[in-house]
Amino acid sequence: MSKERKLFLIVAAVLIVGSFLITTQMENRFYYKAAYVVLQYVVLATAWNILGGYTGYVNFGTAAFFAMGAYTAVALIKTWKPPLYVLLVMGGLVSGLLGLGIGYLTLRLKGVFFSIATLALAVVLQMIISNWSYVGGGAGTAILKPRSVPMFSNYDEFLFFVMAALAVVSVAVAWLIEKSWVGRGMAAIRDNEEAAECMGVPILKLKLFATTVSGALMGIAGAPFSYFVVYIEPTSAFHLDYAVNSLAMPMIGGTTTWLGPLVGAVLVGTAQQIATVTLSSEMNLLIVGSLLVGFVVFAPDGLVGLFGKIRARLAGREA
Amino acid sequence: MGRIIKHVILGFALLLAVSIAFTPAAQAAKEVKIGFSMALTGPLGPAGKAALLAMQIWRDDVNAKGGLLGRKVKLVYYDDQTKPANVPGIYAKLLDVDKVDFIVSGYGTNLIVPALPIAMERGMVFMGLFGLDANAKFKYNNYFQIMPAGPDPIVDWSRGFFELAAKQKPRPKTIALLSADAEFARNAVAGARRNAKKFGFKIVYDKRYPFPGTTDFTPILRAVKAANPDLFYVGSYPGGSVGIVKAAHEIKLEPKLFGGGMVGLQYTAIQMNLGKLLNGITDYWFWAPEKTLKFPGIEAFLAKYQKEAPKQKLDPLGYYLPPFAYAYVQLLGNAIEATKSFDQAKIGAYIRNNTHSTVVGDVKFGKNGEWATSRTFQVQLQNIESNKMSEFSKEGKMVVVYPEEFKSGNFIYPYAKGK
Repeated sequence: MSKERKLFLIVAAVLIVGSFLITTQMENRFYYKAAYVVLQYVVLATAWNILGGYTGYVNFGTAAFFAMGAYTAVALIKTWKPPLYVLLVMGGLVSGLLGLGIGYLTLRLKGVFFSIATLALAVVLQMIISNWSYVGGGAGTAILKPRSVPMFSNYDEFLFFVMAALAVVSVAVAWLIEKSWVGRGMAAIRDNEEAAECMGVPILKLKLFATTVSGALMGIAGAPFSYFVVYIEPTSAFHLDYAVNSLAMPMIGGTTTWLGPLVGAVLVGTAQQIATVTLSSEMNLLIVGSLLVGFVVFAPDGLVGLFGKIRARLAGREA
Repeated sequence: MGRIIKHVILGFALLLAVSIAFTPAAQAAKEVKIGFSMALTGPLGPAGKAALLAMQIWRDDVNAKGGLLGRKVKLVYYDDQTKPANVPGIYAKLLDVDKVDFIVSGYGTNLIVPALPIAMERGMVFMGLFGLDANAKFKYNNYFQIMPAGPDPIVDWSRGFFELAAKQKPRPKTIALLSADAEFARNAVAGARRNAKKFGFKIVYDKRYPFPGTTDFTPILRAVKAANPDLFYVGSYPGGSVGIVKAAHEIKLEPKLFGGGMVGLQYTAIQMNLGKLLNGITDYWFWAPEKTLKFPGIEAFLAKYQKEAPKQKLDPLGYYLPPFAYAYVQLLGNAIEATKSFDQAKIGAYIRNNTHSTVVGDVKFGKNGEWATSRTFQVQLQNIESNKMSEFSKEGKMVVVYPEEFKSGNFIYPYAKGK
């Protein structure tokens, strides 16, 4: 294992342990709930970026993968109330398989057509869920969260910890992909798919891998959603916000590195949480919208790219 | 690697900045803070804003009289954007950061349920605004819901419609059911289905239409017409209700009784849009300016509301939700005064065990915090002659035909006669 990889894994472990320690120290539940939402977006944005940023396939169907994770969990909770880790695994599995299916779509659909197909996927799935009465159908269903959980004083803290761990793991996955031959292969697909194929990059395998991993991570992020919100119905689970935010966050942070979606999600997610309780909430989408437009026009490589440029310029001046 | 450490430090700095941003300002002395989330934007935004205005009128009324137990009332609220996912965070903020003394719910089932477990965990009294059986799973004994749907809301909702139908001679035999494919409408029609069975009406048509998204209702209503039902029960949302009424006129669909669970016909803007087309329709209703419904305080409240509503571009008459939004905080305030206490358990017990006089009449709660007995009116729209707003603020236009106790005029049957 390289020195860099070792250090990265240590930092990841420290962050997970740190988030656990926070739960033993801080009482205020609001911060846990707000942090949960931000961390959920870290996972979603990172997952989106594996397909959208690394491979160049823009997915508008984040909500579909997220909601499939959430509804897989709801179906399981209704059947035999398994522990949360089972929900996470199953949510990831179902959305991962859905991702694999979408991956095969890339054989025929590219660019904007692929994006439209993913958007349609969300609409179709929402319709199916709306008509599946076992999970509440269009009317939705209330989910009772477990009363207590060992080692945590309440379930909110536990959910925060779980989402923090998931965020760390998903960023680690993105980092590992980016630094490996897989990541380089994906970048080749993004830049020129035909050329990559001619050069011997196994493009179908890599695209399938990207859609599956991206979908699975989104599903995992969705699995605890029903416990967080306690009442789940298709309109909120399939909300367009998930698609818009998980696309805007990497765009704002920068799409080519693992750091971009992380920075974007933390910044935009936190700004949204603050806006919800301070400004009028119409500001919420306005913030995302104007940031997105601003970054696309003035800093197409996102914040990370912008910092890189500034640093390069400063370094140039020093030299 | 130094880069990563730098980013981690940056992250912590950000977290710190956030926590500073959220530090509550010095608390104003001795206010009673009532906290809630309200849909001020999103699909329920317009109704939510009207509810908020009603609550502000109550606050001003109470404060003009010196507040609650000598403490001024302050409303602390955030916009949930009609998104259930925002609700848990908002209530956590209200309780842990703003340190409110009481919480009440936002508007609608989807936005009440996510807050319920939080109220439960803290043992707080939780007043609900227009939730349909929101407490069914939680069975929390300090939850009280103000919409007069009754102890078995899903069935009680349409009971009046069916009792009316069953009384007619010759007794109607068949019924068509139509529902929008979403939460409220499906529940309402599920209840109607059970009532149809109970009252012995044969269901000859039972379909759902996609919601949102359906704009042309003529093909659907043609299918209903082909089934030739005596009764036509509809569960729909505002846009759909307008479309269905218009399409029914267009194809001359004339069942003997038409309406039931159509949301929107109670809103002034839609009434002004449909005007005469509303005549003869019988729909669920919560309040109308009829002589049998002049509860103490309602007129004074509506006068204040109607003065302010046009300025904020809200429902100008405000008969549907605003009186209930006033009542649910009024009831809480009265309970605080009556118990002379801010103790949640005491107030909860008082609300549970007593009948309360409010601007929407006497309220007594029963199972799961719903009204002990249903008081969902069936109103028949009669004698509407124009699309003017003044038309709908007069008596005798929205005639209460069920229940007997509140009846304000005669029921015109069949529908074609009242049209």
